[in-house]
Formats: sequence, structure tokens, C-alpha cells
Amino acid sequence: MAKKGWDEFEIGAMLRTFNGKIDDIAGTHQENRAYSENSSFVASVADWRINKPVFNKDFCIDCQFCWIYCPDVSIMSRDKKMIGVDMDHCKGCGICVEVCPTNPKSLLMFSEKADEETELAAWPAKNEEKK
Amino acid sequence: MSEMKKIKNLKEFSTSADRFEGANLLCPGCAHSIIVREVLNATNDDLILSASTGCLEVCTAVYPYTSWDASWIHIGFENGSTAVAGAESMYKALKTKGRLKQPDRNPKFVSFAGDGASYDIGFQWISGCMERGHNMMHIVLDNEVYANTGGQRSSSTPIGSSATTSPEGRKSYGEKKNKKDMVSIMAAHHIPYAAQVAPNKWKDMVKKIQHGFSVDGPVFINAVSPCTTEWKFDPKDTMHIADLATDSLVFPLYEIIDGHELNITYRPKDVVPVEEYLAAQGRFKHLFKDEHKYLIKEWQERVDANWAYLNRREEARV
Repeated sequence: MAKKGWDEFEIGAMLRTFNGKIDDIAGTHQENRAYSENSSFVASVADWRINKPVFNKDFCIDCQFCWIYCPDVSIMSRDKKMIGVDMDHCKGCGICVEVCPTNPKSLLMFSEKADEETELAAWPAKNEEKK
Repeated sequence: MSEMKKIKNLKEFSTSADRFEGANLLCPGCAHSIIVREVLNATNDDLILSASTGCLEVCTAVYPYTSWDASWIHIGFENGSTAVAGAESMYKALKTKGRLKQPDRNPKFVSFAGDGASYDIGFQWISGCMERGHNMMHIVLDNEVYANTGGQRSSSTPIGSSATTSPEGRKSYGEKKNKKDMVSIMAAHHIPYAAQVAPNKWKDMVKKIQHGFSVDGPVFINAVSPCTTEWKFDPKDTMHIADLATDSLVFPLYEIIDGHELNITYRPKDVVPVEEYLAAQGRFKHLFKDEHKYLIKEWQERVDANWAYLNRREEARV
């Protein structure tokens, strides 16, 4: 898209989210949609993050709490299974970690620079302490 | 009327394909998008949406991007509700004249607005929409402050909260006026459905939204939306604050059908003291100084009185 100066903006604008015709959006998952360059789906806010969530599927019980409470549509769930975190759109708020009910948690926050493999290998053990 | 989407449990709900996109510019941990997702996913029908000026609008429609996968319009601060009401009138007229290309698709008309655009600036417009009986839903994302412009007080800001135009200081304890009871005001229009919802109670929320879609006439929904920036808490604690809000009965969840039949839809097992809710947020920090401590007691009394009032109304069915 051509860059415009501050005094050249449109007074009003209409943006199309998709390229071409689309019939059933509510039944089409993100990977099968033809997003246009105007959808914020093609943008990224990955550089907002200071901490990132790391997903350990060994402990996940697919309760989907992280999916429903994610403010940034970044928890990918397909066929009732949690399959991972969308790192282009995650802002690193940490809500998913807070709402995760498993012991130990299946999602934990680490520094953005942390290595995922190392952290997964050193995942904390079950916390036996009764609340 | 088309068939309602069946949502029995969270696993079933999670198969929904979102019609709201990430990479919007809302703060990390903002409850606005959680509420929007829960509302949009509650139906499979087409959606015709609007947003009045506010955090949601400025953050999801930053040119050249849009975060909405459905028809969405923004015009001004006050007229988000009337924009949708106009679209609904046009749809009805075209349907009556038989000029719709796909008359069997039942679009849902929803307008989103913040508390500033609903309680203050857009009040007259919303009142008009409710009175004229459009088949639409108005949803307030109630964060109790003008968060978009830097935290000025709105008529939804509760007593004791420190906002930039009602700050706490040597003498002042912050906002001095009580919150406007918007749900009751809207229910007094004798609309078919008015309700208060919270994002942490997703099942209650989906049930109310689906009921709102199924009735014929205007629907008013007030959703509490904890604001990490203006309520001053850590972004990861959004759901915790929402839990405290509903469990301390500061935000009781209830519905009013046809303007008189009040039902309380959520009764917390363990009621949390209001003090805990206030202590979790930076905007109420000064209330814990010795000279302002009496306000916490007043808060608790006010919340208890409101809860007793709601219970009396539920019992009396008036």
C-alpha cells in the first residue's frame, strides 16, 4: 500500500477484509480464509512482547480456558484440541497462564529471548502442595 | 428465524471460527476483545456491527487495517447505535419489498460502545433506538472511565475511583458521584431484554447473548470490562479482577425481561468482601489511607443494599 502524508488521508474509507467472495465466514477457520492486505490478520504485534507463553502439550487437558479468555485470538484450537499459540498476534499478557488449571501448568511465561526447547526440557514438576 | 448455535460446553464452543482478528492495538490483557469474541462466537449468523468511538473502535480500525471479519461501521462518538438501527430499518424495508438477494440469511444487528459513548455521549441516541423498537442489540463495554482519551471520569465511574478529572489528593478521595444504573434505565423503556454480563462467566454471557438474539426487539447488554491501564492492575490479572467483581457482587449478574421480570443469573458460592475487589486495583489505592477508610465500609453497605434490592425484585416479579 502506498504511503500517504498526514494531510492526504481519506475522509472516509471502506476496507475489505477478504479477497474475492466469501460465503460462510463463521464456518471457515483462519487458515482457510483469503485475507486481504487490509485485514489486521496479516499484521503482527509480536514486537510488543516482553515475555512469551510456552505451551507444553504433555500436561494439557484441552479445557479451552486459554482459548476463551485470550484477548488476541492467539490460542489456536481446532477440533476441540489446543494446538499452539499464534506468535504473530500474541501480545504476551499472560492471561492464558493465569487461567490454566493443570498442575503443573501447561502454559508458562518466559522471557521473549528464552529458548523454547530448553524451557520445555526444564519444565517444573507437579506441585504437591495442597492449597 | 434461523436455528440457534448449540453451545453445550467450552470444548464445543472452541470449534467456533473467530470473526475478530488479532494484531489489533488494544492493550495486552484488555477485556474488550474477550467480550467481543464471546459475543461474535455466540452465533453463526451474519453480523452487522458498529462501534462508537472508544478504545474498541480506535484500536480495531487503524487505517489501513481492520480487525473485523463482518460488516462493521464507525461514524461518530454518539451514533453507533443509530447507524445499526438505520441498517436494520433498511433491511426490514428491503425484505418487505422482496428486494433482498438472500432473504433467508438472518443477520444480527449489534452495536458496541464504551461506557462513555453509552452512559454519557450517546445516551439520547440509545434511548431513541430502544424506544423505536429496532431489532438490534446494544452492548456496553463498561470500563467505568474514558480510557481511550486518558482516563477522564464518566457517569459510570464509581465513588472513590481516581480518574484524571477527579483525582485523589490531599483532600479529595477521587470521584464523588455514584455510578449510573444504566440497566434499570434501559429496562424502564420496557424493552424485551436487558442484562448485565461479565467476560469471566462465559456460559452466562453466551446464554444471555443468544436469548438477546432470539427475541424480537431492542436488547441492552452491560458488560463489565476490567481495564488494565486505568484500573491499574497487571495485564495477566484481568480474569481475576473480573472474578472479584462478580463474586463481591459489585457487578451482580442479572437480566430483566420485558422491563419487569428480574432474574439473578449468578449467585456466588463464597461472597468476597468488597475490600478485596478494591484492594486489587490501583485506582482505589488511596481508600486504604486512614482518613478514607470509612468509604470502604460505605462501599460494602451500598453493594449489600443493592444485592438485597435485586433479591427483593426477583421475588416480587415487578
